[in-house]
Amino acid sequence: MSMTVFVLLQTPIDQQELLCGQLAGVCRCVSELSSSPVRLLHLRKSKYAVRMKDKFLWALSCVVDIPDVSVCDLLDQLIALFCFYNGPVRQSYQLYSKQELALRWARYLCHLQGGSTELHHIFSCLRTIDSTHIDPLLLLKAALILQACQRCPLVLAGCILYRGRVVSTQMPPALTVKVMVYETQTYSQDFQVTANGLSSLVGSPFSSTATTQVFLMPTELHMLRCPPVDRACRSHCNQPPCQPSRSRLLSRTLSDTPTTDTDSSSLDPTHCPPPSYKTVPSSPRSSLSDELCFSPSPSRVNTPIHSNLMNQSEYFTPDSHVHSTSNGTNLCAVEEHLAGLNIKQDIDANSGSETKSNGLNSDQDIQSEEIKAPANGYEQSNCLDNHSDLDSQIKSEENKLDANNHVTNKNGNGETEEEAKTKSKQINRKLKEKNEPTNTPSPHETLEDTSLVPLVLYQHRVKGLVLALLVEPEFITDHSAREEVHHSSLASLNGLEAHLRNTSPGTPGPPGPYTFAHYDCIQNTLTTNVCGRSVGPQDQAFVKATKLVHSHFSRLDTLQEAIVRNASSAVYGTRTTAQETYFLQQGTPVRNSGSPDPQDSAFSLPRKARLRLLKHGVNLL
Amino acid sequence: MKCLLLANESAEVLFYWTDTEFEQRVQEQYGVSQEEGERLPAFEDSINTLFAPIIISCSTMVDRLGDNYTSFSTENNHIYVLHQFEECLYIAVNGDGDETEEDLKRKIFVMKKLTEIMFGMVTFSGALLRKELRPQDTEQRNRLWKKLRSLLETYSRLRENDQSFLVEAVERLIHPTLCEQCIEFLERRLVQQINSNMDRMGEEVLHAFILVHTKLLAFYSSRNASNLYSSDLLALIILVQDLYPSKINLDETSEMAEDSLQTLEAPTPDPSAPSRVFLESKECPMPHSMYCLPLWPGITLVLLTKIPNSHVATSVCYFLEAFVKLEKRLCEGHEGAAAMRGQPSVQEQRSRLEKLIKTWAGMDIQVSGQQNFKNKAFSRSGSGFTSDLLPSCRNMKTQLCGVYRQFFAAECMGSSQRLAPHLQERALSMVQEKLMDWKDFLLVKSKRNITMEFPGLIHFIYVDRSNGQMIAPSLNVTDRTVSELGKGPLADFIKKKVWSLVATAQRYLQKGYATVTLRDGDYFYCYFLWFENETGYKLEVIDIPSSPDDGAPVGMLTCDYYRKLLRYYSKKHQNEVVKCYELFTVHLGVIPNEYILQHCSQLARKLWEPTRIPLL
Repeated sequence: MSMTVFVLLQTPIDQQELLCGQLAGVCRCVSELSSSPVRLLHLRKSKYAVRMKDKFLWALSCVVDIPDVSVCDLLDQLIALFCFYNGPVRQSYQLYSKQELALRWARYLCHLQGGSTELHHIFSCLRTIDSTHIDPLLLLKAALILQACQRCPLVLAGCILYRGRVVSTQMPPALTVKVMVYETQTYSQDFQVTANGLSSLVGSPFSSTATTQVFLMPTELHMLRCPPVDRACRSHCNQPPCQPSRSRLLSRTLSDTPTTDTDSSSLDPTHCPPPSYKTVPSSPRSSLSDELCFSPSPSRVNTPIHSNLMNQSEYFTPDSHVHSTSNGTNLCAVEEHLAGLNIKQDIDANSGSETKSNGLNSDQDIQSEEIKAPANGYEQSNCLDNHSDLDSQIKSEENKLDANNHVTNKNGNGETEEEAKTKSKQINRKLKEKNEPTNTPSPHETLEDTSLVPLVLYQHRVKGLVLALLVEPEFITDHSAREEVHHSSLASLNGLEAHLRNTSPGTPGPPGPYTFAHYDCIQNTLTTNVCGRSVGPQDQAFVKATKLVHSHFSRLDTLQEAIVRNASSAVYGTRTTAQETYFLQQGTPVRNSGSPDPQDSAFSLPRKARLRLLKHGVNLL
Repeated sequence: MKCLLLANESAEVLFYWTDTEFEQRVQEQYGVSQEEGERLPAFEDSINTLFAPIIISCSTMVDRLGDNYTSFSTENNHIYVLHQFEECLYIAVNGDGDETEEDLKRKIFVMKKLTEIMFGMVTFSGALLRKELRPQDTEQRNRLWKKLRSLLETYSRLRENDQSFLVEAVERLIHPTLCEQCIEFLERRLVQQINSNMDRMGEEVLHAFILVHTKLLAFYSSRNASNLYSSDLLALIILVQDLYPSKINLDETSEMAEDSLQTLEAPTPDPSAPSRVFLESKECPMPHSMYCLPLWPGITLVLLTKIPNSHVATSVCYFLEAFVKLEKRLCEGHEGAAAMRGQPSVQEQRSRLEKLIKTWAGMDIQVSGQQNFKNKAFSRSGSGFTSDLLPSCRNMKTQLCGVYRQFFAAECMGSSQRLAPHLQERALSMVQEKLMDWKDFLLVKSKRNITMEFPGLIHFIYVDRSNGQMIAPSLNVTDRTVSELGKGPLADFIKKKVWSLVATAQRYLQKGYATVTLRDGDYFYCYFLWFENETGYKLEVIDIPSSPDDGAPVGMLTCDYYRKLLRYYSKKHQNEVVKCYELFTVHLGVIPNEYILQHCSQLARKLWEPTRIPLL
């Protein structure tokens, strides 16, 4: 049995180790007692969402006043993100070094934490573009670009993002979130970090395309391949792929008029209903423009989830000799945390191959130090805003680590550099084989996670605008298809980008006499007039009540509405299966005693909410 | 699947309670040998083994990170709640969905309260509490654990079925005339007679009250008595219910209940022996003797007496507090005179302590370690008030707790210390005579205490937090007699809803929300908390501070949240007496909100009157 430990936080390294050991031990003990994995662990000063799956354990901590349901959701999203970009968990832990894995987790966590307000954390929702000041035709145009791309049979679904926010998407929210990581990762970069050897780069810094391998769950893929709506227009989907594609216009701007030589049915709304998960950006009466929210701000309110991810894996794969190097690295962690409990068994299993587990131990301290640096860097950079900083930091760390590994191999194992190279080549080959979509899954993959299906994420960036498409793996080799999608969407993307860039941020309206948040559970979007930075006492009261009532809604299915009131504020919350809405009327409350009183203004909140929110497109009737 | 256990820092289980399901599960997991006689200790061992890693991890977390676990939950919805009181760790487990995290926390705090009631200040010393909870003698231990388990089960039964234990306030029987007559009777006849009798063995009746099931008919306190807090009164009702369980809550046929009552009437081999209870007072937990005299099944007379030497408790407590303060200041790094700041002069304390120790020596009670402390603290060669003094300071604390124990622990008092049996019998027959004609009426009344007349109103609970009393229509779903709600699945459904409403309201109150309305399914729920002055004038709301998640649960039985809340509010209204009220209501959801709120307002006004019945 071996165990790897990663902790990303400001916690001193000895405390990290203590926490890892204690939490893992106590979780195992409890899960044995209850014959069920631990899901949530509360401490006096913090709480941890926990996932125990197969032989892995992840724990994500946050401050105590974040609802349980929110932190659990966040951890699940995080793990899903990891699998999306790295494939089966066990495989990744065998392939990548601790440092590399730590960097990846940091990146994904950073992405998920990039929400602009505390409310975004509570609902774990998508960040959408502020459409208040945007011509609705632009949104339509974005949707049309996506539809046009889908005419290539290899394209499954796509989304368009502008500066880290969704403009339009055809994917379910959970999938859109995942796709967005790649976008933010490459945002404001001239070139792109090679993630797993598959990425490629075409074009200038201002317009570039890239692809990367991703892994989808069968249910996700099923939804993309066989969407619930009848897509008559995509009947040619059944055609075998890789056919020389017909020359056709893949994209059109709104000014384009349908020409008879193109597949006109694809534009006919009756024949081609919109994809079921089209996200309409929220339209809050935001007092701050999108531009402002996105730009770095030193006075930014810190996110409440203090990015404390702990991640432990334990696996005893008898056939793990393939990746003995990475296993060796993992074994050092075992010696430290489990006092070498089951190492022998593992070494025995590996003894047939070139195991060099002991040699690596001496390097443990150096490696631990290396983990700390990027983690702290990440803390300071505070996500999205300083993305380029983070990425360059990550890159330089990666380089450092590479160098470090060579030294390790030389000194620790007595292994020559050449041997090491050969080995890493072997690993790369294995990885490539595994990633080759046409390949049958390797034998040990059948043990778990076999269900993940490899696909390719294609991304076309035009400055701040990104077209992201999930495509069949054949798309990479099919040059004509790539060219087509690229060239035909380029003009429309350029046009859309120019429009979005030139859209005036608009003058922020005066803060309304009320505060509200409207969460769409289906599209996973949030409309609110609470701004991330200027959190006044009323907003704080609103967020506090929203947390509690949202928590209550998530616990009690039959609960439809709630009014909660303390001396200074009253908040009304209401929900249906599709949405949750919260409303606070601002202003000094009339003197009241809190005793039952029909004249009490708190009880008129439902009526006020219905009236006020209509103009935000929220219908509570 | 339920379990509750207490452990000390060396992972030694001081007490545990499990239900059969939990026991079976553990046995399955550990394949405990089924041999007769060996079964019990083996089960205790497996409990020890199972929880040891958690307990040890807890102390590691406290030592190294200054933080501690408060709960775990698993994917199959098992809940573990942990709470550390001084050196004692409490763990409560539920795996059957019957209890929430909050329920488990409350159970832990109630368990703590019960140990305080039973052992008083002894609970201040980990080592002594260990001795008390885990006696060397196996038989003695089994007896004590049996008693504690039974108390815990009684509490759980009451919490599940009795509204007064749901909201943790005492329910009064609403019959002002009879109530007044009874109080007069208790004062003029009963208490006076006993306290003037020579056979009372130095004891003095301070409080006397009559319970009909869990409801209070009359309560009298003598003039010398200090206030009996609602938290204590509720705990005493648990003790009484444990001795004489009401059939009202037992899910059995009435004949069987009658039978069981026959056997339950003599629960101890020595029926006239009192129970030792330690009750809160301004200074310290004061030892009392409690006499439970069953008048008829379901109706009980309770006498609380002051025992000889109880003043010793006050002086022990005075010094204990001084040593606790000193220890705290030394721990914080204060030395010399600064360590003694805020206390009467050192010399004065020193001479007082010496005087007391001499008196105790005369009573054959030794305090060792005092000389050691004196040498270190006061002699020229000693270190004075420095951190070196800490061990002997702690030792003194343990010694003082030991003195307290020697004076007051039940088995140390000797079995002869009690009101003479004939005096007890006389008291019993006097009250029996007085209430003979009322007996049947009272038993019925206890089940139909109050009726409602608002259309669309399903249920309500009204609580006066200033005196810790509540009024509510009955909800006896397991009883044969039909309550206002009828019986069967609907009543059971409403009961569940009422229970969850109270839990919800308390959760919001803990976060500072004093008004909550909820639309849930076909029902509309309201919760209000407000303050009034004595004349009924409604005072302005204030922001109630929100308490941390790991704090004491909202209630009166445990750590008395409402007493603290009233104190907090009174700071802003120092010139008047502040009263605090709560109203919980359940209405049909089809009724328009305006009407519901009007109802609530009328209800509050109407219910204000009955709470004016004098208690004296």
